[in-house]
Amino acid sequence: MRLGRDLERVGLDGGAGVDGGPETDDVRRHRDQAVVFISGSVIERDADSHGLRLCCRIQTSANKNQERSGIPEWSASVTAFVWHGVCIEFGHPMFTDYATDGFFDEMFSAKGGQAFPHYAKIRDQIGSMSDEQLREKQRHLDASFLEQGVTFTVYGDGDHGTERIFPFDPLPRVIPADEWQVIEDGLTQRIIALNLFLNDIYHEGKIIKDGIVPEEVVKTAAHYRPEMVGVDVPQNIYMHICGSDLIRDDEGNYLVLEDNGRCPSGASYVLENREAMKRAFPKLYQSLGVRPVGDYPALLRKTLEFLSPRQAGMPVCVLLTPGLYNSAYFEHSFLAKQMGIEIVEGRDLVAVDGYVYMRTTRGLVQVDVIYRRIDDDFLDPTVFRKDSLLGVPGIMEAYLKGNVVLANALGTGVADDKVTYAYVPDMIKYYLDQDPILNNVPTFLGWRKKDRNHMLENLENLVVKAANESGGYGMLMGPSSTKAERAEFAEKIRENPRNYVAQPVVSLSRHPTICPEGIEGRHVDLRPFVLCGEDIEIIPGGLTRVALNKGSLVVNSSQGGGSKDTWVL
Amino acid sequence: MLSRVADSLYWLGRYVERAENLARIVEVTRREDLESFRHDPSDSLWKPVLFATCVQEEDKELETPDDPAHFITLDRKNPASIANCIAGARENARVVRDQISEEMWLELNSIHLFLRSDAAERSFHDDPDGLFRRIIRFSIIFQGLTQSTILQDEGWHFSRLGKFIERADKTSRILDTLTFRTGEPSAMALLAVLRSCSGFTAFRSEYRDDNSFRNVASFLFFSVNFPRSIRFCLRRINEALLEISGTSDGFFTNEAERLTGRTLAQINFTDVDQLFKAGLHQSVDELQQNLNDIGQCIFENYVLLPSELRDVVRTEGLQHSLLQQHRQKQQ
Repeated sequence: MRLGRDLERVGLDGGAGVDGGPETDDVRRHRDQAVVFISGSVIERDADSHGLRLCCRIQTSANKNQERSGIPEWSASVTAFVWHGVCIEFGHPMFTDYATDGFFDEMFSAKGGQAFPHYAKIRDQIGSMSDEQLREKQRHLDASFLEQGVTFTVYGDGDHGTERIFPFDPLPRVIPADEWQVIEDGLTQRIIALNLFLNDIYHEGKIIKDGIVPEEVVKTAAHYRPEMVGVDVPQNIYMHICGSDLIRDDEGNYLVLEDNGRCPSGASYVLENREAMKRAFPKLYQSLGVRPVGDYPALLRKTLEFLSPRQAGMPVCVLLTPGLYNSAYFEHSFLAKQMGIEIVEGRDLVAVDGYVYMRTTRGLVQVDVIYRRIDDDFLDPTVFRKDSLLGVPGIMEAYLKGNVVLANALGTGVADDKVTYAYVPDMIKYYLDQDPILNNVPTFLGWRKKDRNHMLENLENLVVKAANESGGYGMLMGPSSTKAERAEFAEKIRENPRNYVAQPVVSLSRHPTICPEGIEGRHVDLRPFVLCGEDIEIIPGGLTRVALNKGSLVVNSSQGGGSKDTWVL
Repeated sequence: MLSRVADSLYWLGRYVERAENLARIVEVTRREDLESFRHDPSDSLWKPVLFATCVQEEDKELETPDDPAHFITLDRKNPASIANCIAGARENARVVRDQISEEMWLELNSIHLFLRSDAAERSFHDDPDGLFRRIIRFSIIFQGLTQSTILQDEGWHFSRLGKFIERADKTSRILDTLTFRTGEPSAMALLAVLRSCSGFTAFRSEYRDDNSFRNVASFLFFSVNFPRSIRFCLRRINEALLEISGTSDGFFTNEAERLTGRTLAQINFTDVDQLFKAGLHQSVDELQQNLNDIGQCIFENYVLLPSELRDVVRTEGLQHSLLQQHRQKQQ
């Protein structure tokens, strides 16, 4: 709390002026009813709470003569502290009207509206800015994202789509160290189990034989790849990069909403958001002791090199992108540049006699590891979709021969299927004999008769999802749906029960966010990035996505979502 | 270096140079236009310019747009407009963002965002000089950054190739505008040509104030030290090609090098008298054809699949569409 420091600066006996501090009159004009006047003397220093214990006479304009000793505390309605007639600290005009509305809020406790201790500095600094200052910062940040080309492409208007910046909210999300430790342990446990599961189902299938996961669930998953049965992948790792989406329920427990085990995107925004925040709020950033995220590219490269079939010399790793017009092209080129590897398109690669080469001005160069950012279906037009122009004819042959490695491996999609998801806690038990550290959101499966009946009877209270869709598409938000939409989904569920799952509405935690009307609570989730190579590495933080539309629970960038920087302490 | 990356760097260099030259040509013509209303209907003034900026097929009569300057500068419907050249340069820069410096990207992206904004339209009407100066200055800064902020490796040579092929082509087109008129070009027209190549001062120091048609042609074709002369550009193209393949001067290892060497030798061993005897317009035509062929050979040699692979890999469709795209861009 800055109050203590400022008192020291004034001279603890009080009375002297504060350099450059506004006079009491200014404060009054600013917001008269919420000024706290303090006078008195310091009784003791209190190192671990707020610095100084004071004997105070606290006056507010509402209650002139209340006198008590103790630590003067900020509360949502205080806008300034005045020490012997001099304003020593402006309050947090930005947060005065903030309401948690009964949701779990990342920053303010539901009781009493106090900011959590790990948010105190943010409340002090950002809260004391004026609306205009804060918006100026935001405009500045937006302009710099646009200038640097930190954009994604939106399709639909114009033939090549339009480049937009991913809306960025400058209020950072803070995660204290102890909470992060739980997340880290939980995700580590989860990726180990998922990789064991993938290795198992593409080999002996013990988990199926032991009756834990029904065979039908595995074999009917849209991204199950029969081509992979019996194929050994390097180090038995299938999912090298995983981005699991975490949400928090009304008690603040972290839950896994889904695992993205194919081509999770967003890591570049984590890095760019961090750079932007360091420029915009350097002092605040420094004072909190935020753990850095900048070594993600180096760790990713290490993970990729670890997989190379040729360990002698420098393995040739490339990033395979669908191309310039892909919505995540910025991310692809950003990561390639940061890792110092080539970014290639399908047409840059040729497969000859079971090896993959890239075409360079000096002829062909053999490729060892492909960090591919295109889906299985588009990889090889001679094996999968014939109409794919993005892939490389013959790449599958080279892959199955083990001459080139794909990250993630082919067929990981079976593990991020929304039905398989429901079994992850069982997998953790089965393979690791542990209880899951991070829980799932309770999930009803359409293909289980009992669950299906429950789904059909309670559609208005549930979120229904298609098992193989992502990006927030193919969803029914029960409570906000119309009768016709519900009827349509009931029909779909009956027709193809395997393809649908339902979850109770978990009302995601909220975080203060800059909105047109001022700072308001908006729902957020968190996507940390897990790397699985020689070691399992999780960069502290991840992408906090925020649903910018009032009341919305959909955080996807294609549907009105934005992002925040995530500060792990 | 990836073939596609080399190709993008080449076009990045070429589009930026093209945008700069277009800005030079339009600015000079626009100024001349301001003074010409008495003796020269502006239509005949802009026609050669429109031709030089490649929006008109030789055999097709294209009607002059209402506002030719705007058409060449900001019109998004004109594929060869400055705004679209910059967009093309930026597109290629996006492809090779990991190869160029942050400073280069920022310059290019900010001029691109500017040219697409209303501010550019306002500037075109209120302060056109300022607009063209800004475009030219952008190109100069960008080329300076290319010179001083990235590795001078293979990729850099490719971007230089693009730049000098484009520059040689545009200088020859500017010179060619003089042959569209009947009779000896006016002193004002000669001055305009020199100005649009930023060559006025350099010309004065080589020829004093003897600005005859013959001297201007000789200067733009043969000057050894003027960085926009055709000879100067061809020497740089030759150097860059030899650097890329590691070949000694006087030898060639591919068709692009052979053609460049031959074209350069032709210029080295010709003088202005022979140039006029052969006909300036014909010589310019021949040069442009050679430049086109050189571009094509670079593309075939470095960007298309190696010939021994073309049979192994079934990529006829790919080769065809690559070639097609390349031809369109060269126009």
